[in-house]
Amino acid sequence: MKKSGVYEYTVETEDLAKYYKMGSVIVKALDGISIKIIRGEYLSVMGPSGSGKTTLFNMIGGLDRPTRGTVYIDEVNIANLDAYELAWLRCRKIGYIFQTFNLIPVLTAFENVELPMIFAGVDQDERKRRAVEILTRVGLGDRLDHKPAELSGGQQQRVAIARALANNPVIILADEPTGNLDLHTGLDIINLLRSLNTERGVTIITATHDLKMIDVSDRIFWIRDGKIDRIETRAQVAI
Amino acid sequence: MPRLNEKRKVIFPVSEAIRFSLESVKRRFGRVLITLISIIFGIAFYAAINTTAILNIYYEMEQGLPTTGIKGYQLWMAAISLLVCGIGIINTMLMSIAERYKEIGTLKCLGAMDKHVMMLFIIEALFLGIIGGFLGSVLGWSIGVGMAIYQNRLPTLWLSSIRILGEAMVISIILSVISAVAPAYFAAKLKPAEALRYEV
Repeated sequence: MKKSGVYEYTVETEDLAKYYKMGSVIVKALDGISIKIIRGEYLSVMGPSGSGKTTLFNMIGGLDRPTRGTVYIDEVNIANLDAYELAWLRCRKIGYIFQTFNLIPVLTAFENVELPMIFAGVDQDERKRRAVEILTRVGLGDRLDHKPAELSGGQQQRVAIARALANNPVIILADEPTGNLDLHTGLDIINLLRSLNTERGVTIITATHDLKMIDVSDRIFWIRDGKIDRIETRAQVAI
Repeated sequence: MPRLNEKRKVIFPVSEAIRFSLESVKRRFGRVLITLISIIFGIAFYAAINTTAILNIYYEMEQGLPTTGIKGYQLWMAAISLLVCGIGIINTMLMSIAERYKEIGTLKCLGAMDKHVMMLFIIEALFLGIIGGFLGSVLGWSIGVGMAIYQNRLPTLWLSSIRILGEAMVISIILSVISAVAPAYFAAKLKPAEALRYEV
């Protein structure tokens, strides 16, 4: 499966399912998802709210355990990882972006970006260099010492993107990254994600119902009631 | 199937954890102050009640009065003071950590392990327990001694009641750490996805 030293599929899932018990009813948030995500692609998982997007996001990101099925990240079954390896995966291989930004409120923009690098064991000078570089790249070079509360929604999401990129992950997982932003700011964030995808070759997976995302996605997975409805490329959607 | 090799570990040096915890205390000062005040008053209450009881016994012994020893109601007072101080500390600690479940979930997404999260909260609780315990016991003990002076019943051996300070400090630290560690452990053990959406 290796193509010149890298894995062709960054993420693969096999018959992935997650059931929740709500009282006496069993809710099938995911029900048998088998997908292959190509390294370096910009993928959008689209579907109405409640269709299982966030659940899929959590499963791929190793943030929750599936009821059934398997997730492979670079061909490693993440169910087989111990606590150390799982933490390492979250720290180094995957960058997470959330609808609600989830910055650490007491830390400045710079410190938020620095934090994952501390966990990764990067030394202090290198941390500083990289954090400043990435924050400058996302357009916040002059906001390093601002705390999240002193930043606008769009700026907070840029800090979150910078934080997600800090350890040069293979995958960026973004759950409704534009959900809390106005139209214009949302578009800026989408374009930023797309250009980072092109520049760095990082695979981007977004779970969204924001149709603006279609224009930048290489492929779109339409999801409905916990199942893949159809898979389209941008060219197919554009028509 | 390739395995991740053994060196692939995340780290969180104690020095970084201390720095993070102290920053967190410093910048959440308003919230921390509420917790701290609750610890200070709880401990002060405990220390004052017990100092008064001890000074009273010393005084009766020194004066050759028929010493009654520790009276029943004094034991009750000591027990209640411990209860009040304990519940106050546990309550504020629980609240201040419940507010931060999302932060715990986020930390785990960034690569923190359960033990790193625990380390952060233990350092914070130790810090609060020590500061709160010290201020509270000094305050409570001073009140106890002050009361004895005011009533003109200060025994010559009054200074030996200073051991209350040590006792109260120990109680403060133990209660603070336990009441912070229990909810932090619960939150750290949640899957990050659960911690992130946890509603208190």
